[in-house]
Order: sequence, then structure tokens, then C-alpha cells
Amino acid sequence: MTINRELFFKEAQEKIKEELNTTDQKIILYSLISEKLPKNINELFEQIRIITDLKYPTLDQYLTIEEYCNFLLDNSLEKLNTDKKKEIEKIISGEISITFDQNEQKLVDNFSKNILDLIVLKNDLDQEISNLLKENYPNFYLIATPKIASKMLQISGSIKRLAKMPASTIQLLGSEKSFFKALKLSKNTPKYGVLYNHEILFDLNKKNKAKMARMIANKISIAVKSDLNKNNVSADLYEKIIRKKEELLNLQKK
Amino acid sequence: MILKNLILDSGNYYTTDLNTKKKRFWDPNRSKICAGLKKGINMLPITTDSKVLYLGSAEGYTISYISDLADNGVVIGVDISPISTQKFYLLCKERNNLLPILASANEPDSYKHLIDFKVDLIIQDVAQKNQVEILKKNADVYLKEGGFVILSLKTTAISQGKTENIINKEVEKFGKDFNIVEKKRLDPFEKKHILIIGKKK
Ligand SMILES: C[S@@+](CC[C@H](N)C(=O)[O-])C[C@H]1O[C@@H](n2cnc3c(N)ncnc32)[C@H](O)[C@@H]1O
Repeated sequence: MTINRELFFKEAQEKIKEELNTTDQKIILYSLISEKLPKNINELFEQIRIITDLKYPTLDQYLTIEEYCNFLLDNSLEKLNTDKKKEIEKIISGEISITFDQNEQKLVDNFSKNILDLIVLKNDLDQEISNLLKENYPNFYLIATPKIASKMLQISGSIKRLAKMPASTIQLLGSEKSFFKALKLSKNTPKYGVLYNHEILFDLNKKNKAKMARMIANKISIAVKSDLNKNNVSADLYEKIIRKKEELLNLQKK
Repeated sequence: MILKNLILDSGNYYTTDLNTKKKRFWDPNRSKICAGLKKGINMLPITTDSKVLYLGSAEGYTISYISDLADNGVVIGVDISPISTQKFYLLCKERNNLLPILASANEPDSYKHLIDFKVDLIIQDVAQKNQVEILKKNADVYLKEGGFVILSLKTTAISQGKTENIINKEVEKFGKDFNIVEKKRLDPFEKKHILIIGKKK
């Protein structure tokens, strides 16, 4: 019996570095961070409004978080693209509001900057996820869209494991819990997991959503394999999906 | 049960720390083997010079206690997650009987070049659908004749059916290769888990 401690450490070290540095790992980690950020941003926004509501009551109903925070910083409505300027001007006129003293203004400024920074961070992460997918897995990127593709990588762990899955598993990915539940109560098994959030399903009715989900799952399965083999098949796959969707929408109208 | 570095004090378990020789609390809520002890397992098949293969070492919580118990032996941890193994690697550097392998326990041949000997005990806690199969595969390659296994079975990783049914089925599979020495459900520490100790047939 011989134990070469150095060899264990050397191999573990190399493998750790190699596996933590893959495209898949990056996409997975970025998307884990990115998907939690909206909640953080919303919570901070609610907190800042504890003060700013007193000066600008109901202003949050007219502006996005980003517009609102920018307005807090520059007090200007010029850049705003809204048809509600009249209403907004009334709110900020000061008729029934408090004014901020210097310290309050400073607090509000700092707070707004923090929220805006988080919004930038979220956009940067999403952009990076998109770029990584587009560069490395162009077919998967196109068929699944970045949001769904990154979520599928999260659940499966890697593109290789995704490529080994049958289309029926891809269709249900992320619905494991509901799947088990359905089996237990022997009701209809669910038709889709994270795929349910694919934008192409939005305006379809229930039955057609299931059909479309099955088709997309099939195409994703093909796309992932061709990305791993560096084949280019995207245009064709994508057109088929669009045609199918039109077909289903037409049927729905009748 | 008498183990050299295991201490029972007012109902709680402790080990003697390999490095500092201080008493170290073992949390049954974080470790299924300690939960098994609390539930009345009579025999842990570990001696101070045991050679142990631990599948599913994660960040190293439980395996660090095994390394205390087998202070003159060797304890090798295998895990598939590079993020967990990063932390486990650092732990191994501090403990001269502990070693890391980043690999899937589903492919025991992939670490054969590192382990050219048979072990006395295989501990497994991987929470995978084919837990029993993984254990058998590794026992075939690495466990000595008459060696022991400790399996922590997470029934919800196998299916969502009735816990009793899953346990019966898995225990039957387990029984083909191992004589069952002890088995204990781990509630309330871990729900829907069972700890099984076996001896290679
Ligand atoms: C429940 S945790 C183990 C906790 C650990 N035994 C403790 O008590 O400190 C399960 C671990 O199994 C690992 N795992 C899952 N599948 C595996 C596989 N095929 N091979 C090796 N490790 C695996 C996971 O990465 C995870 O770290």
C-alpha cells in the first residue's frame, strides 16, 4: 500500500480549477446571482420610499424604479418618456409634502445610487450570460432564450448532462416536485417545467402550450447536441418553431 | 460501544480533535452518522487505524469527525462538486490523515490510480437515485473481504413513494451484497432517512 499525498492534492487542485472555470459554471453562477437581484432591488426600493413617499406621495405609480431613482438624484423630468407628466408635476409640486433637509437629501442620494448600481449590475450580468451563451452555445441560445437556457444549465449542472437527457426530461426540467405530486395523486402529469416561462408560449392556450412545449423541448435537445458538436443548424430549427407557433395561433383564433 | 476518540457526555457526542486533542462537539443535526449514534446505533466499525473511503464528503463536516476517530489511519473523501471540494481540500491540508478526490462516485475506476489498496470501511452519503448501486460498485473495487459499509439512505432522492416501501426495496438490494449489521431511522434529526451498517458478504 502506497499513498502519494502530493498526487491527491495535485489532481484535486487541477480538477477544481478546471471545473470552476468552465463556461457552464460561469453561466450558472451569474444566473444564480442575477435571478435574486430583482428581489433585493424591490426591497431596497420599498425602504427608500419610507422617506421619499412623504415628499412625493404615489410617485412610484408613474415611474419605473430606475426612473424614480434617477429623478431623486437630478430632480428633473426632462429625460422621462411618459404621457403622465401632468400628474407627476402635481405630485412633486409640494402641495401636501414635506421637504428634505440636507441630511435627508444626502441619505436619499446615497440610497438611490445604491439601487441604481444594483440595476446596472443586474443588466451587466444578464448581458454577460447572453454573450456567453451566444458565443458558446448559439443554437441553444436561440431556441431556448438566455433566461430559460441559463435556468436549464442551473438545474442540470452542465450542457453535457443536458445533452444526455431525452427531450421528455428537458420538457419537464424544473418541475420534479410537481411531477412527483402528480404521480402520487395520479392526476395529469405536468406538461412543462421552466419551459413554461418561455416567451413563445405566452399567448397560447393551455392545450397549445403543451404542444408547443413538447416541440421546443425537442428542438432544444437537438440544439444542445449540435452546439456540443459545433454544428450550425439554428436558422432552420428556429423557423420551424415560429411556423408551428403561427399555425397554433391561427387554429386558436378559429 | 467503546471507540478511542469518541466521547459520550450528558447525551451528546464528541470526538478528540486529531490536531488539538481537544474535545469537539459532533452535531447530530448536521451529521447523519452522529444522528445514528443518538438513535442508538451500537457499533461504529471504525478503529484508530481504519482505512476509510467516504463517498459524498461535501465540505467535510462529517468526514472531519471520521478523521478524528481514525486518527492513525487514512480517510479519503470523494465528491462530485468542485465548489464543495474547494473547502474540503483546505480541510485536508490541515489533517494529515485526510485526502480529497474530485470525481463522481458513480465511476469508481476514475480514481483507481490513486488508491492501490483495499479499505476497511466505505461510508456513503451521496443522496442519489442509485445510492445502493453506487455503494456496491465501490465496494467491488475497494472494500476488503469482510469490510464494512455505512450507508445513509435518503429516500426522497429515490422516489416520492411511501418511505417504508422505498426502504424495504433498497434494504433488499443492499442485502444481496452485505449482511445487515444495524439499521436505524434518523427522525427527528433527518426525516425520511435511514442509516444502514453492513458487512461485505
Ligand atoms: C448530503 S451531502 C453529503 C454531506 C456530508 N456527508 C456530511 O454529512 O458532511 C451529498 C453530497 O454528495 C455529493 N454527490 C452527489 N452525487 C455524487 C456523485 N455521483 N459522486 C460523488 N459525490 C456526489 C454532493 O455534491 C454533496 O456534496
